[in-house]
Amino acid sequence: ENYTQVNIFKEVFEKQQAPNNQSLITHPHKTIGNENKQHGQFNPYQMNNGTAIAIAGKDFVCVASDTRISSGYTIISREYSRTTQLTKTALLTAGGQVADIDGFAKDMQMKVKVYMRQHRREPTLETLARLVCTTLYSRRFFPYYSFVMLAGINSEGTGVVYGYDVFGSHDTMTYGFTGSGQSMAAPLLDNQFVGHNHLVKKPAENRQSVEEAAKDIINSIAERDIYTGDSIELTILDKNGVTVRHEPIRRD
Amino acid sequence: MVAMAGKNCVAIATDTRLGADLLTVDGNFQRVFKVNDKTIMGISGLGTDVQTFNSLMKFKTNLYSLNEGRQIKAGTFSKLVSTTLYEKRWGPYFVSPLVAGLDKVGEGEYQPVICNYDSIGYREHSGNFEVAGTGAELLYGCCEAFYKDDMGPEELFEVISNCLLSALDRDSLSGWGAYVYILTPEELTVRALKTRQD
Repeated sequence: ENYTQVNIFKEVFEKQQAPNNQSLITHPHKTIGNENKQHGQFNPYQMNNGTAIAIAGKDFVCVASDTRISSGYTIISREYSRTTQLTKTALLTAGGQVADIDGFAKDMQMKVKVYMRQHRREPTLETLARLVCTTLYSRRFFPYYSFVMLAGINSEGTGVVYGYDVFGSHDTMTYGFTGSGQSMAAPLLDNQFVGHNHLVKKPAENRQSVEEAAKDIINSIAERDIYTGDSIELTILDKNGVTVRHEPIRRD
Repeated sequence: MVAMAGKNCVAIATDTRLGADLLTVDGNFQRVFKVNDKTIMGISGLGTDVQTFNSLMKFKTNLYSLNEGRQIKAGTFSKLVSTTLYEKRWGPYFVSPLVAGLDKVGEGEYQPVICNYDSIGYREHSGNFEVAGTGAELLYGCCEAFYKDDMGPEELFEVISNCLLSALDRDSLSGWGAYVYILTPEELTVRALKTRQD
């Protein structure tokens, strides 16, 4: 019971007492061994905010995001593009940390290239969705701080939105939202489109009204959310290709 | 809870759930109280403080009408709420009141008064709409998109119900029924909304 009397344990026990004797209070000049403590405070994550929404249509998808990135209360850029096109049928967008959004998008572009070398065709949306999931999970213990959404046209020709969490768990949706303004976007999208509360979900029909709704929603969010604003990047993907439009909104 | 102004009318819409975190304690809790013919007040926050604060304001308005010999105006009442909250600056009531009322500015002309407060009495009176409660952020989005100026009582009812229902469905801590109180110079109408009972 008294293991301080047993020699091997005694040594360990006494060795552990030693650091306490040389605390910074009695030896303020002794900084060796303490540098690591300061670097240990480094936080690899920061939140760059912004909002993005994605709406699936019958044969198209519409992704609308704001173009502002901030750090705390400062604006870093007013012209940042959150959306990247991965293939002819898929768009990737995300909210969260810009370094991880960009890093993840680059990773996915690389994986698409590798796929195309191996299979001699582009991956379908379902395949890409699974690929996004596994890429996110590969970083399970040091995650990508990006809240990703994949929007595109599946192999049946209908528009679909896949929403992900940081570790890769995902679900198909008729519309998705992410970012600092997501709680303001949620009820608006529920109201305008058939999704959340309905047993049978229906993608949107009229392309014009989807565009108008997406712009209005981001505009409304920009009124109340300080991290959203500057301009809206509206990206529409259909079987003819991708169109990107920018619309300026309030810059305050 | 949300309060909105229209032309010569105001409305407050609220859910009726009282919860303790995730446990639902009451599915029919009254949060909106009539102050006088021209003012209604909705209070969100801690249940006990909702009721205490209502009693306190009732007491103060009764005293006011005995002293002044008339009913308190909506604008004055909104300031009274602010000072009452500040009296407890260092031990506040955990409430976010919403005051909605009509101030007479001419024959048949009424100025709507919509005020939101934090728990120690800062009064926010933008005049269009105000939101409070756990679903506040959700309601902001809806109201910004659907609100327009100079709505009549029927249109105001449609808009405010739409906003509340959309936000209610997304907020897990709100629900179990909803009431909309519409105040015009002639009457106060209360309508119950059919919502999901969860």
